Amino acid sequence: MRYSYINPRKKSAFTEDMQLLLIFFSITLLMLSLTYIFLLFKEYKFTEDKKNMAQKQVDLNISIYNMKKQITLIEKQNILAENIHTKNAVLKDSITNLFDLVPQRITLSEATLLENGLILQGITPNKDVYNFMLQAPLRSIFHRTYSSFYPANNGWLRFVSTNYIDKEEEEDELDAE
Amino acid sequence: MRSSGLSRQNIYVLISSLVLLIMVLLFSFLVLIPKGKEYRIKRSEMIKVKKEAYRYEKFNNDTLSLLKKLQGANRYTITALSTPFSEDRFLKQHKKYFKTLNLSKRVVSEKDGVFLTYDVNTSSKISSPKSIYDFLDAINKSDWIIGVNFPIKFTREGDMIYSTFSMKVYETDKKDLNSSK
Repeated sequence: MRYSYINPRKKSAFTEDMQLLLIFFSITLLMLSLTYIFLLFKEYKFTEDKKNMAQKQVDLNISIYNMKKQITLIEKQNILAENIHTKNAVLKDSITNLFDLVPQRITLSEATLLENGLILQGITPNKDVYNFMLQAPLRSIFHRTYSSFYPANNGWLRFVSTNYIDKEEEEDELDAE
Repeated sequence: MRSSGLSRQNIYVLISSLVLLIMVLLFSFLVLIPKGKEYRIKRSEMIKVKKEAYRYEKFNNDTLSLLKKLQGANRYTITALSTPFSEDRFLKQHKKYFKTLNLSKRVVSEKDGVFLTYDVNTSSKISSPKSIYDFLDAINKSDWIIGVNFPIKFTREGDMIYSTFSMKVYETDKKDLNSSK
């Protein structure tokens, strides 16, 4: 370093202390600013994520609603199929019982199965055979039984038996069970 | 001349330090700390939203697995109810139980909830009641959901039994199928 009595040494406000101070505060402010930017970015990301999640929830809601609708439909289909299959099985039992019910001495010419009744037409050797072998079991099954006879050509009797189950009484019997 | 107090440069340093310190404090207390608080609130909100989203997703997955399970367990019923009734196929499958089997033209009878029903009148000749038992067993395993309706009439014709009855064929309404997808 050269010293002179004539030319004054250049003095600067940015001394080493000042530079150190500025560097220190610059780093501090930089760090604070970066933290602030980080917070701003996070906040923006939260808002975006929240928006996406809200949309996803709407989609999931629609998907759940549709799936529930399908589940209800399958349950309805299952109940319907089970009911129909049970009804067919019961019907098969009813027809089996009908043909088992008729004794060999009585010949049926027509049988009509109704939802709550049975109409039988046929021929019987005499009224007693009909009363003991067919009417008795019919009376045990049906609530109302009506029979009418008229003579056939071969000396036997033609009969028409009309039998009904009263729904109300049937429900009462089921309740009692 | 050397003053007894602080030098001018030290005063600069001191003033600069104070100004910068005030700036740092102002920035921290007025901007950064409120933002930090806001961030904490939003983060806790986000955790709640994430939990809710997880709950929704879990419920969606549970519902989906239940649906798949039901679809697997009821495959026959679902297929049978979505298959349109074919008279030719029905006759081909079930004619073996009867001497003769005739079907009348199917008629859309009514809409029972989500199901369309068709009435099909049937007349047949059988040699023994066993045929009708076999038919009723087979109808429960057929390609459609079919219910045999009352009245069922059996008439003796020589050695044969002539039977007439109506059947109800059930089919899921396509409109309901589409709307549920």
